[in-house]
Amino acid sequence: MPSPCNNRAIIAAAGARKTETIIEQALSEPSKLTLITTYTTENLRQIQRRIQARVGVVPSHIRIAGWFSFLLSETIRPYQHSVFGEVGLVRGLNFDGERNRFARKGSRRYFLDGNNDVYRGGMADLSCYTNNASGGDVIDRLEAVFDCIYVDEVQDLVGYDLDFLDLLFGSKIAVVVVGDPRQYTLATNQGSRNKKYRGADFVNWIDERVGRCEREDRNTSARCGQEICDFASALFPGLPAISAESDVTTGHDGIHLIEPHQVHEYVETYAPVVLRDSKRKDTLGHPAINIGVSKGSTYDRVLIFPTTPMKQYLASRELPKLRAPERLYVAVTRARYSVAFVV
Amino acid sequence: MLKKIHIKNYRVFEDFTLDFSEGLNIIVGNNGAGKTTLLEAVHLALTSRIRGRLLSNELSPHLFNRAAAEAYLSSLAAGERPAPPEIVIDLFLESTVETAVLKGTNNYAHENEPGLRVRVSFWDEFADEYEAFVANPEDVRLVPTEYYRVDWLNFAGNPVTSRGVPASASMIDAGSIRLQSGADHYLQQIITDQLDSKERVEIARAYRSLREQFSDNPAIGAINEKLAEGQGELTDGKLSLAIDVSPRSAWETSLVPHLNDLPCQFVGSGGQNMLKVLLALNRTADAAQIVLIEEPENHQSPASLNVLVRKIAERCEGKQLLVTTHSSYVLNKLGLDRLVLLGTAEDLRLGALPPDTLDYFKKLSGYDTLRVVLADRIILVEGPSDELIVQRAYIDAYGKLPLEAGVDVINVRGLSAKRFLDIAKPLGKRVAVVTDNDGKEPAEVEARFAAYTLDSKITIHVGEKEDGSTLEPQLVTSCGRRRLNELFGTDNQTDDELAAYMAANKTSCALKVFEASDKLPLPQYLIDAIAM
Repeated sequence: MPSPCNNRAIIAAAGARKTETIIEQALSEPSKLTLITTYTTENLRQIQRRIQARVGVVPSHIRIAGWFSFLLSETIRPYQHSVFGEVGLVRGLNFDGERNRFARKGSRRYFLDGNNDVYRGGMADLSCYTNNASGGDVIDRLEAVFDCIYVDEVQDLVGYDLDFLDLLFGSKIAVVVVGDPRQYTLATNQGSRNKKYRGADFVNWIDERVGRCEREDRNTSARCGQEICDFASALFPGLPAISAESDVTTGHDGIHLIEPHQVHEYVETYAPVVLRDSKRKDTLGHPAINIGVSKGSTYDRVLIFPTTPMKQYLASRELPKLRAPERLYVAVTRARYSVAFVV
Repeated sequence: MLKKIHIKNYRVFEDFTLDFSEGLNIIVGNNGAGKTTLLEAVHLALTSRIRGRLLSNELSPHLFNRAAAEAYLSSLAAGERPAPPEIVIDLFLESTVETAVLKGTNNYAHENEPGLRVRVSFWDEFADEYEAFVANPEDVRLVPTEYYRVDWLNFAGNPVTSRGVPASASMIDAGSIRLQSGADHYLQQIITDQLDSKERVEIARAYRSLREQFSDNPAIGAINEKLAEGQGELTDGKLSLAIDVSPRSAWETSLVPHLNDLPCQFVGSGGQNMLKVLLALNRTADAAQIVLIEEPENHQSPASLNVLVRKIAERCEGKQLLVTTHSSYVLNKLGLDRLVLLGTAEDLRLGALPPDTLDYFKKLSGYDTLRVVLADRIILVEGPSDELIVQRAYIDAYGKLPLEAGVDVINVRGLSAKRFLDIAKPLGKRVAVVTDNDGKEPAEVEARFAAYTLDSKITIHVGEKEDGSTLEPQLVTSCGRRRLNELFGTDNQTDDELAAYMAANKTSCALKVFEASDKLPLPQYLIDAIAM
């Protein structure tokens, strides 16, 4: 009898308590050796802080590691000999460097720079390559070390990361990936592999793995009010609509448009958190946070200085005008009660 | 549990591999064979420490194997560009759930096993400095360890923390008990290991409150006030006296173990040693426990050694022990089958001994089994008079004592020579057995040893039947009555009478032959035995 599928993909809306779900599950099974991994160090710190807030210290059955540091120390280094014919060779990560395009695949210079650091773009590629070269020892070893692996913000994983996820899905390890494809604002690398599964199309990758990975959608936001949810849902017509969990009102709720001359008064009255696309944007002297950085945070009210495409979208509500719906989605879904745009 | 160690370029070991057995491993070998170094290497791989200090702080050119260092230096001197030598210690562990994270192929054999690695290697950040340094090869006399780094890794290729090692190591080095504020590092470690984390916190807390009580004491308070008055004169800060509780002087270094109310440094070496062994063995830990005992016989009287060895034998269950020794007594008592012999081309072990022989030496532990193990060549004789005559025959033939030539003449003292051959044969030793014919044809006597002489370097030496059944009539036959009567100052009228006299005065007659000023014609089977 085939064993039931032990992998899950939770596709959740902003404010659907993604990270909470992971932490709760990991803490509830102290007999299982568990890895929690995610791409960004900011989210890694969040996970650590939230576990500490609940139980004081990170319990010994849980390990928290960044995606790259996990790949490096648990998949590449143990069996580097099978790829490079040497032990103790691979050092760390080369985040910024680009590999030599003419290096032959599998050669040392294909994966490593002169310092023997692994190029960011080749990290997961090397993990898959090492598993293959070692005859599957990488996955065998992971099965002995971990019972469960949780990947948070899985939409950040692209390219060969997905091939490595496939290897994990095929293992005895129970793998849970959690993410919101609508929040695809950065990626582990910019390679061309698996390009068609980036962003909102990540769900297609999951859907193609039916039987290997169970998809579960969470479309209720515990954070945002209904009007904000509607605005956010409209940005991704291909994905299920999001509904609000609470119907608390404050007298100033939903989506608003204001003009630049009203900004000072608005900030005085509602004390919103000011969001901008990048620090190049003039926010009329008000301290602001970049949208990318705000990911994962919750604020009562936000005031957004939109980009030109965002402004065009706000005026026309035509999606093609918006080149990066993900950024707008992240910005509006930070707010519990109200979102205002400076137009 | 430890499975295997591989050592490269560390001290006496240039390229060394040893498999460990479960439970007891008794390590013997001549001086310089590397017994202590082996224990040190195991401890190093498990803790990254050497004599209580981090290896990175103790790095010196003398840790390198001499042959490896000389090969490097002479290659430099010859104008070549050799790679600086590396020290690598690979310790293979048993594969368990706890050790899975240590698994990988980052070891010398590229085996997919869990384990720990200590690597001392050239640090390429110093490449420029090193280039300048070796520009004048004649100035390079030692391995330039100032350009080296120490890595403590697991076989997954990742750095190790001491918490990441699922085994504890207790080192008991009797040879050099070093004292450091009362107790040496290893004893302190053994005591600390006895405590669970809660108890350790309680001690640390009690120690801290002791300090606070000290500061709160009115007399100390008054002194500190007086010191504080000087503020501004000597220094701008406030001066006071308190007990240091910084990590450097935490309770581990300030609280001293006492035995019968005596601080440990005032307890005799034997007592300290006994205490350490028993503490280490008493521990019931969840983690795999490795106990390293160096020469337990040191500082012990025969009676207390008996107690100590009995306790080691009783309490080693569930632990892995590596014991080095120079004592046959320790070896016999703990079990000859546990022997690991260092210093030969390949490490040798006895493994399966006949159970009755094993038992025999456990009960009659005084026999010098270690001599059989360590000697190059062995002549087994059946009594003190045979021993003396064989020694004399050897001196006559080679002009020196057999031991000076690495030949050990061992008196089996009433035991069957076969017991010793049970040990010698698996070790591949060259052994000559000198035995009486007891009135039988030599071929018949040799047949009794057929199981030993087949496929081995063991030979049997027996006198001809017609020359007499024991050593004494054999001597009468070879030397002649006249010369022996002269030597003994006797006047025996027949050969039988002379032989009977000699049999009645065995040792004193043999001593006279041994000391005789002229060379006597000694029986041919003894000449054959020493010529083997």
